[in-house]
Amino acid sequence: MNFRFPRACLSSGLMLVLLTFLVEPSAHAVPSFARQTGMACEACHTVWPELTHFGRVFKANGYTLDNLKQVRGVTVQREEILSLASLPPLSLMVQVAYTQLATPLPDSSGVGNSQNGTASFPQQISLFYAGKIAPHAGAFIQLTYGNDSGTLGIDNTDIRFAGLQVLPGDQSLIYGVSLNNNPTVQDLWNTTPAFGFPYATSNIAPGAAVSTQIDGARGQDVAGLSFYAFWNESFYGELGAYRSAKQATAGPLDSASAGGVVSGIAPYWRLAYEHNWGRHSLEAGLYGAKFKIFPDLAASDGAGYGQVLKGPTDDFQDVAQDLQYQYMGDKNLFSVTATRIHEKQTYSATALALGINTVGADLTTFRAAATYYYKRKFGGTVGYFSTTGGAALYNPADPANEMPASLSLTRADTQGWMAEINYVPWLNTKFSIQYTGFNKFQGLSSNYDGTGRNARDNNTLYLLGWLSY
Amino acid sequence: MRNVMLLSAGLLLILCAGAVFADEVVDPEVVAHAERLAVGTCGTCHGVKGVSKQPKFPRLAGQNPAYLAAQMKAFRSQQRGDPDAIGYMWGMSASLEDSTIEALAAYYAVQTAVGASVASDGASVARGREIYEKGIEAAGVPACSACHGPDAHGIADFPRLAGQHAQYVMKQLASFQNNMRNVAVMHGVAQALKVDEMRSVAVFLETLP
Repeated sequence: MNFRFPRACLSSGLMLVLLTFLVEPSAHAVPSFARQTGMACEACHTVWPELTHFGRVFKANGYTLDNLKQVRGVTVQREEILSLASLPPLSLMVQVAYTQLATPLPDSSGVGNSQNGTASFPQQISLFYAGKIAPHAGAFIQLTYGNDSGTLGIDNTDIRFAGLQVLPGDQSLIYGVSLNNNPTVQDLWNTTPAFGFPYATSNIAPGAAVSTQIDGARGQDVAGLSFYAFWNESFYGELGAYRSAKQATAGPLDSASAGGVVSGIAPYWRLAYEHNWGRHSLEAGLYGAKFKIFPDLAASDGAGYGQVLKGPTDDFQDVAQDLQYQYMGDKNLFSVTATRIHEKQTYSATALALGINTVGADLTTFRAAATYYYKRKFGGTVGYFSTTGGAALYNPADPANEMPASLSLTRADTQGWMAEINYVPWLNTKFSIQYTGFNKFQGLSSNYDGTGRNARDNNTLYLLGWLSY
Repeated sequence: MRNVMLLSAGLLLILCAGAVFADEVVDPEVVAHAERLAVGTCGTCHGVKGVSKQPKFPRLAGQNPAYLAAQMKAFRSQQRGDPDAIGYMWGMSASLEDSTIEALAAYYAVQTAVGASVASDGASVARGREIYEKGIEAAGVPACSACHGPDAHGIADFPRLAGQHAQYVMKQLASFQNNMRNVAVMHGVAQALKVDEMRSVAVFLETLP
């Protein structure tokens, strides 16, 4: 069945497109770690932010490895009660960018087009506290100013406690707990959403309107505690739970809260196996989460439904697979990352509010990327992305129960590819030329918005200067 | 007068003996600190007991303590200049004290070295053994065993090579050859080695117990 896009819905469609601008991947390679350990970036990163095996172990160990002079405190039993670096582990990250769309976006007045060719100076500036805070504890805390929000806010944050146990047979067990604000930000591989490719994209260009919950949708909106163990640097297991921790919202949350409040706690789990041989590293894993979310209908149908934080919820069950391969030669570095996230959606609460039958949907996201670098200096990545199915709040068994057309705009299907060329003159400086091509955008290749705009009109050329120091 | 001289000599002897003895006494605090470092910090790359799994990082279990201590001091003074030394070890060794270095070297010296690993290329191993035991006369390459011992367990200040990762050995030979790792003896030896000869020696050494 074709979707209908009455003119009255175009503005809400545009809103949705604009909303997608707000979902921007954050990025992270932190020179304060280099200052703390005295090691060059190449110890932890192939080329930042992609982690090497050593980088993964460093992260699992709670960012605590150091060589700096410490301010120390010990008890009479010689128990270490303070170990604080004499210099705070601070760093700054700056992204400046330029974005050019294949066809400019329509002007919000409905007459003519907006200006194409957008300079972002900066797109983002981040301040990090990234390093050890106590003998077995460390933190990665990011404060970001974004030019789109025009404000400074909390970004990815991961505070850890970690320990190491030597097991019989000289095997190691790293264990710990992470307190973080974005499911997968604590993960060790560059396959999962928080630190997966693309590491930086334009915050001006249109992107997929719909994503699975674990794919960044809840980033900086939740607080989670997760327990993990990494046995022999091979088997990794993690269990965690997230709860709404919205920013710029009065707490406790009430009916005036912005959309997407998680009911109760959302469980998170992760299993992975990594095998290293010679210069090769291979990882395969599973991860997932389940979110019960109070629907926010006020924004979408204008009928005055509030964010009532009780009663039924819409449920989102995410199960994902991921795979990573890395080859690290002295001159040639190559890596492949891939993930597939499947989300089973059940819109019980939304259906109840709108007086229709409960509807369900499946949303599947697939991303894969291959990266090559020569001498960590010249490199490139090609990637594919696809989000299909799901999100259309429509009951195929009963056409009379069709959702308001404004909601049907959330149809997912967005597919395309990315190509990126990178020049890394110094290990903490990267210049990128990135091109994103869309085959499908919000369900259609052509006329996806009802005004004749085609998917390929959103093709994006993105120039990025990225400094970390 | 003679008695005074004898007494003085005796005192001097006792003092000297005391000094030597004091030098040999190892502070248990330092040993405990070194063990924590070895497991929690060094172990991240070199394995908790010095048996690294990543071939980029050398195995240290069973290594000669004199050699290890000398290397750590060379990292600390930034005299060992191969790329991984600069990238990893200059930083990690920067604040190590001499006593900690000695204790770390002692820690690794007593760890059990790994057994032989199976090499895939028998011809390469055989060639490597030949070079290791006899050198390459025509190219003026002396036998490695002359300094590193017939079993490659090292002699005095010369390092143990048995069971070392082939990738690491290869990289070191290349570093000696182009003088990034500035050791006159090894520069002389490695200068005439071709890449496939280095590889043969490296895979042979990896098979040794």
